[in-house]
Amino acid sequence: MSCEQHYRTLIDKYIDGEATAEERQELNEHLETCDACFEYMLEVRKVVAFVQSASHVQAPEGFTENVMKNLPKRKQTNRFKV
Amino acid sequence: MDSIDKRLVREVRAGDEQAFAELVELYKDKVYQVAYRMVGNVHEAQDVAQEAFLRAYTNIDTYDIQRKFSTWLFRIATNVAIDRLRKRKPDFHLEDPVQGADGLTIESQLAADEEPVDDQVIQMETRDWIQQEIQALPPKYRMAVLLKYMEDLSLKEISDILDLPVSTVKTRIHRGREALRKRMRHV
Repeated sequence: MSCEQHYRTLIDKYIDGEATAEERQELNEHLETCDACFEYMLEVRKVVAFVQSASHVQAPEGFTENVMKNLPKRKQTNRFKV
Repeated sequence: MDSIDKRLVREVRAGDEQAFAELVELYKDKVYQVAYRMVGNVHEAQDVAQEAFLRAYTNIDTYDIQRKFSTWLFRIATNVAIDRLRKRKPDFHLEDPVQGADGLTIESQLAADEEPVDDQVIQMETRDWIQQEIQALPPKYRMAVLLKYMEDLSLKEISDILDLPVSTVKTRIHRGREALRKRMRHV
């Protein structure tokens, strides 16, 4: 594993909230001196923020009524089977 | 929340349709979002989301009440969405590589933004752009990224929904995120 790969893996763990205290410490020290990794971390955070910001889709009006109109008659025959 | 779900499921099983309407109300936005992000247009998304609820209703007796209702429902919804993508393209496989993603340019999006009317319009366009970027991901990565970051589910839940090991889910999220990073980095 290359050095760069090592820190990218650490950044992934950090973003996922899985980095240990030692790993966070190691990463912080590295980020102080490495612009490329610092940039990478900002970009990953930006992606997550972008995706989260777009996450408020609502079902169209009348959705529930449409589902209820199309409800089939439910078969009751297998009710007592596991 | 979970106990409300379970009470409603018991009522549906006992033949109460109104209880099912309550379940639809509770989950329609989440299910619709999965459908919309996967198929990419409102018309098909509505079909997919509706089909998911109808399948849930028909199969309500097969739901294991010990488990989380939302996981079961999401599992149905993701399967319906994937079926829909397969039908659209008969030789579709979840493993297919990305295609045609390069046609979308950030420049064209920015050109359209030259004279912003108001903040809301910009916000809408940003969302459209994010949706396009998400659409450009291969479906298996798209599904993992959307369940994680849009539906805010845990890796364990996503693993249950997709019936994949947690390690595979994690890999898919990372690869999807990395593909998005490469495409979004200059914004």
